[in-house]
Amino acid sequence: MGPWRFFLPRVGQYAIVLAVAISLNFFLPRLMPGSPLALLAGVEPSELTQEERQALISEAGLDQPMIVQYFRYWGNVLTFNFGKSFRMNEPIGELILDRLPWTLLITLTALLLSSLIGIALGVLAAWRRGRASDVASLNTMIALESTPSFWLGMLFVALFSVTLGWLPSYGAVTPGATLSPWETIVDVAAHAAMPILTLTILSVPGIFLTMRYSTLSVMGEDFIRTAQAKGLTNTQVLSRHVVRNAIVPVSTVIALRLGFAFGGTVVIETVFSYPGLGRLVFEAVSSRDYPVMQATFLVFTIAVLIANTLADLLYPRLDPRTRT
Amino acid sequence: MTPKTPSPARPKTSGVPTVSIRTFITPRDSTRLAPRDFTRVIGTVGAIIVSTLVLVAIFAPLIAPYDPSIRAGAPFSPPSAEHLLGTNDVGQDILSELIFGTRVSLMVGVVAASAAMLIGTTIGLVGGYFPRVGGIIMRGVDVVLVLPFLPLLIVLSTYLGRSVLNTILVIAFLIWAPTARVIRSQVLSLSRRDYVTAARSMNAGDGYIIRRHVLPRTFLLAIGEFVAATSAAILLESSLSFLGLGDPLQKSWGSVLYWAQARGAFLTPAWQWWVLPPGVLIMLAALGFALLGYALEQKINPRLRRA
Repeated sequence: MGPWRFFLPRVGQYAIVLAVAISLNFFLPRLMPGSPLALLAGVEPSELTQEERQALISEAGLDQPMIVQYFRYWGNVLTFNFGKSFRMNEPIGELILDRLPWTLLITLTALLLSSLIGIALGVLAAWRRGRASDVASLNTMIALESTPSFWLGMLFVALFSVTLGWLPSYGAVTPGATLSPWETIVDVAAHAAMPILTLTILSVPGIFLTMRYSTLSVMGEDFIRTAQAKGLTNTQVLSRHVVRNAIVPVSTVIALRLGFAFGGTVVIETVFSYPGLGRLVFEAVSSRDYPVMQATFLVFTIAVLIANTLADLLYPRLDPRTRT
Repeated sequence: MTPKTPSPARPKTSGVPTVSIRTFITPRDSTRLAPRDFTRVIGTVGAIIVSTLVLVAIFAPLIAPYDPSIRAGAPFSPPSAEHLLGTNDVGQDILSELIFGTRVSLMVGVVAASAAMLIGTTIGLVGGYFPRVGGIIMRGVDVVLVLPFLPLLIVLSTYLGRSVLNTILVIAFLIWAPTARVIRSQVLSLSRRDYVTAARSMNAGDGYIIRRHVLPRTFLLAIGEFVAATSAAILLESSLSFLGLGDPLQKSWGSVLYWAQARGAFLTPAWQWWVLPPGVLIMLAALGFALLGYALEQKINPRLRRA
């Protein structure tokens, strides 16, 4: 069995999560008061004649028994057939594929940055526990945890775009510009800078607090005293013994933060009009484009599950004690 | 060996803000940080912030210079003696909007957190006291914890429609899970104590044991959880309102920011009086409740105190 004994029950749990998400998508529009036609076909029933309404109902399969509709829905989801957007009349799969790279660009970069910053600061704070710098960084992190990220983003625009004029305030590329490959990279980076900064600030406190906690508990262990007793320098103790052990639980938290970061993109991409998945959610919500909203919710769920699975696979590699 | 019980440092959550506040406390802190003083300072600051905001909410009609729903001056006015924080795009006084918004933001936070605490405590109690059923229930809790949080919140509120009650319901429905976990571990440990075994050996019923031995010691913990959950709920409400999913008739701090965003206030000098103040209020409220929750938890949670 080996690592599978740890992994298999998790896979079962993730399958259940996915099933719950898909079922929520199916049942929510059908259980809401009023005609599901408005929610599922994007038309107000009162605007239609009797015949048109009938035609739409049978086209959407709403005249079938619920259980048939349910299985048909599963079939569609499993073949990535999410239907068409009400608003843009485009296949949703393509819409999502258009938007996904931008979201991945900013979330993954932000996750990398916040992991590095959070881990470094967390170890530092734990090492200097109780001193002024530890208390100061703790207080800063608590304050950051309480800061609405979209508001921070708005302030960044006011500061970096409007006042200082350093960075573009919206979009992912300069529209209509012909640029050399190098200029394109600079352009994309300049547009992504503020969303990445905001997302990073959103994720640092969680990673910092876990790393600090984890480092402190490792520092209380006997083998650290042994390492110190045999005359290792502080740097050696930290790098070889403390951080290597303390980083194990943090790795899981980082993977889980990905799901959090994806959720954060909804408000952050809205502030910066960044054309990613989060912005797509906002557009879908504002225009009552339910199929798009559902599909993006599913994509977010799948992303979270992938992140969890990665964390599960990573865990035994980092911590040999969980291997059997 | 595969660890049977998940260690506390390995939370399975898609990122509910309330959980991480618990990670401040460590064995080593107690000797170095003089935690009692630190906790007292933090608790006092939190209490001052929260009680000030509550007073503002209660006396909003007396404090606010204008009715926030009427046109009180020229649209887009900068701050002046008549309008300390200027006016918005339809000429409403922004300061009055914020003062009245305190009511909505705090109420949504407190009511949603109360409901979440009720659900979380009940499920945690059942899950902890009846280990067999508990295992199954906690699997369900894990499922809720893994679902992506904000997107689900958005999907639910879009379907339900924009009203204060729906905002409260949706937030409550999504933030009870961490509370359930905390309560469950407390109940699990309580119901294995010797005095519970002793009571059981004297033929005490489950209802009696829960009432007499488990609930009193769980109740205080639940209060700490409630205060921390309020902080999370206030932040969530602001996000929802910012996305335009708040009640259109009951403006909160988040919806003031929604309109500021929709009218591009952050692209003009208006950000100083239209964008900055509501965000500061959200931050203060979330921080106040978080600090208060942290201080209460330090006082209450015996496991943390012993450490």
